[in-house]
Amino acid sequence: MELLFTLRKLRPLEKLLPFADGIITGKYFTTGYHLSLDEIRQACRFCRAFHKKFYIVMDDFVCEDEKILLYDYLDFVDSLGVDGIYFHDLGIYNAAKSYGLVNKLIYDGKTVLCNSLDSAFMLDQGIDAVQISRELTLSEVKEILKNHSGKVDMQIFGHLRMSYSRRRFLSNYFRQINKDYDYLGKETLTLVEEQREYRMPIVEDDDGTYIYTDYIFEMFDEICDLKKDIKRGIVDTLFIEDDALICQVLRDYRRINKGNQNFIKDSFLHNYPNDYSSGYFYQKTNITKE
Amino acid sequence: MNKIELLAPAKDLNKAKIAIMYGADAVYVGGKFYSLRSRASNFDLKDLEELSRFAKQYGARVFVTVNIVFHDSDYYGIREYLRFLEKIGIDAVIISSLALIPVVRQEAPHIECHISTQLSSLNSSAVRTLKEFGADRIVLGREASMQQIEQIARKVSVPLEVFIHGGMCSNYSGRCVLSNRMTLRDANRGGCAHSCRWKYKLYDGDELISDPECLLSMSSKDLRASAYVERMIKSGIASLKIEGRMKSEYYIGQVVKTYRKMIDEIYEKGSLTSDRLAYYDNELSKAENRPSDDGFLSGDCDNSKHLYGVNGAGVTHDYVAYVHAFDSSRNIAVIEIKNIFAKGDELEVFGPKIDNKHFIAEVMFDEKYNLVELANKPTQLLLVRMPFAVEKGDMIRKAAHE
Repeated sequence: MELLFTLRKLRPLEKLLPFADGIITGKYFTTGYHLSLDEIRQACRFCRAFHKKFYIVMDDFVCEDEKILLYDYLDFVDSLGVDGIYFHDLGIYNAAKSYGLVNKLIYDGKTVLCNSLDSAFMLDQGIDAVQISRELTLSEVKEILKNHSGKVDMQIFGHLRMSYSRRRFLSNYFRQINKDYDYLGKETLTLVEEQREYRMPIVEDDDGTYIYTDYIFEMFDEICDLKKDIKRGIVDTLFIEDDALICQVLRDYRRINKGNQNFIKDSFLHNYPNDYSSGYFYQKTNITKE
Repeated sequence: MNKIELLAPAKDLNKAKIAIMYGADAVYVGGKFYSLRSRASNFDLKDLEELSRFAKQYGARVFVTVNIVFHDSDYYGIREYLRFLEKIGIDAVIISSLALIPVVRQEAPHIECHISTQLSSLNSSAVRTLKEFGADRIVLGREASMQQIEQIARKVSVPLEVFIHGGMCSNYSGRCVLSNRMTLRDANRGGCAHSCRWKYKLYDGDELISDPECLLSMSSKDLRASAYVERMIKSGIASLKIEGRMKSEYYIGQVVKTYRKMIDEIYEKGSLTSDRLAYYDNELSKAENRPSDDGFLSGDCDNSKHLYGVNGAGVTHDYVAYVHAFDSSRNIAVIEIKNIFAKGDELEVFGPKIDNKHFIAEVMFDEKYNLVELANKPTQLLLVRMPFAVEKGDMIRKAAHE
């Protein structure tokens, strides 16, 4: 398993990169990444210098009138000589064909890639790998990995995205209550449903609004069994300010990945207390109202 | 060029028949499995077969939703199901799992594959990709503006379907799992709890910044695209889709009939005057249970297109009765009470062949021929003397005065 982390803003790569196999970053057609094109280019050079992998993420939707930007951006991405491109909009697949980049594409299924057959269908299109949805039980994950060993990427740490809207929930709300507030791109805002207590991070940018889980997903206990079948494990750093925490996460996953069985989760949890969760691994979400 | 298709939803056989009788060219329904509206009554195999037969009598088409986000275990029985749909003459399946395209080709070669709005197709490149994958029709995402829809339609050859009316997900379809986190109900497998319509406090760090009198809600107004129907026809869209597989027969009848007449008038006269559009908008408002707007069709969705405070649910006019039969020799209609009304109330009838015809409910009997002054027992059958002929399937509501 390759161990990657998302570079969402300038962080001390010299401290983090030694513990990872590469980074994922981006600017357009994604959210929560704050690097300029020059900074992305520099990060790419840095990775190359240290023989690390470099991936671009374009995991949002593309509107018809953004297609010029899409092709301009793909020019830039192509010029970097990236190791892979995470995409979600099927229009990007079509556009990547004209750049001969299909074999570098990784389909990030977000919330809609939950099975082996759809994974096979996408892989049959000549792409490099698929990133499966986060709303899966552990046994479902195992089944997909069994069927597509070495072709599946997974988010292994970080807040999980729960919703993505083109609507500007924050702008509209502040307009509704006549309040001036500096919110655009801000990552400190949280939503709390009136009958519940947990706080779900919410971010709005030019492309819409995104809501994430209150908890940080981790799979330290499960990764031992799965690592041989996972192509890339991704540590998402969104909303995590503490570089030391990210460093420790990478170090610990790397240790486990290398077969070190002595990793003690309790120690990690003690040193870096947070609301962690194994997500849906042990919780089915197929309850329906009759 | 083929006339644009009017596509209506139905949650059960009766509503599907109403949709077809009121002018839908096609209906889309869910089976007991594989469908996103788990709370819709949904069709068993026998109902699907009957619907297919009924639709053929009217020259209408039937599409079946197979649009959950499948987990591995959900595919169980899908091949047999598709073969059954083929056998009974279903015209298309609406899918979000791309892996089903080759399966449908193999098991049900006469059934078209329509790509659900769950895939949020918003650009011509995505549409082309789906066509290459074997899709026969693409339902565009509801986030596309009218201008973008026109641009896409100009560039692609595959038939496009566009939502014109009904409830809207406030998030991209399929990309919202708030319900999973908050209720353990899988939004993408028919269990959506509509968490977007709930109220939320907003914090910045530990500071509460929301207004306690008006909490944040993601709830969107419903879509009403009446003003865009003409442009959609002219842009070559194949199908206009009404949302609402959970909605009542009244909603289905009123909305389908209104769009049917509007579309026919546009084809007949070339365009609609503003007066006629206002007339149709007024007709649509009679079936509204939530405020509506044009969604993303006009561009951005600002705060005026959201619902804050109350949810806005409610109806603007009362649907009071459904006509089950009419005895033309005695001018007596057999009606089923849906909502309260009284002797002397002014009512109006609308139906597949009748437009808002008014009458006063003067003589009403129950099944034992007792005179009825107040019709207040829903589902009770009444005999009502009518001043004009009505038909089975017509609906009666309290009269609206402009």
